[in-house]
Amino acid sequence: MDSNCHFPHLSSGNKFSTEEFIGQLKRQLAQAYAEKFLETVRGKCFEKCITKPGSSLGRGESSCIWRCVERYIEATGIIVLRNSLREFLMAV
Amino acid sequence: MDPSSLNSAELQRLISQEKERAVVNEMVAKLTSACWDKCITGTPGSKFSSSESSCLSNCAQRYMDMSIIIMKRFQSTQ
Repeated sequence: MDSNCHFPHLSSGNKFSTEEFIGQLKRQLAQAYAEKFLETVRGKCFEKCITKPGSSLGRGESSCIWRCVERYIEATGIIVLRNSLREFLMAV
Repeated sequence: MDPSSLNSAELQRLISQEKERAVVNEMVAKLTSACWDKCITGTPGSKFSSSESSCLSNCAQRYMDMSIIIMKRFQSTQ
C-alpha cells in the first residue's frame, strides 16, 4: 500500500475497539482495491479504444471506452463465477 | 471497550480473514487481466460473443489447473 494508507488511530483517549480497527482496515482495503481496479481498467481500455490519439476524444472512442468498462466488469464476474473463489467471497 | 482487545484472538482472526480476502482479490485481479488479454482480442462490443465468454471461463479454470500442476511439480522436487 502507498503512503495514503495510515494506521487506524484511537478515536477517543486510550479506548480502542476491535470493531473500529477492523472497520478502518476494511475501508482502506476496499479503497486500495478500487484504485487498483480503476488503474487496470484505464490501461486496458486505453489500449483498446484510443488507437490514434486525436486532438479530442471522438464519439467512437467514448462509446468504446464505455463498453470496455462494462465488459471488463463483466469479465471480472465471469472469472469469479468460474472458480470456487465465488463461494469463498460469498462466505466471508 | 476493552483496551486489551488489540491482542485478542478475535482481532487476530478478523485480520487473518481480511488477509485471506486480500489474497483472493489479488488473484481475481491478476486472472482477469491475463484472461482479458488472451480472450478479448478485438474492440469491446456491447456484449461478449459466446466464444469470448467461454474463453474467459476456460481461461480461469485452465489457470487453476496449471497452478495445481506447478505446485505438484515444485513439491516433488523438494
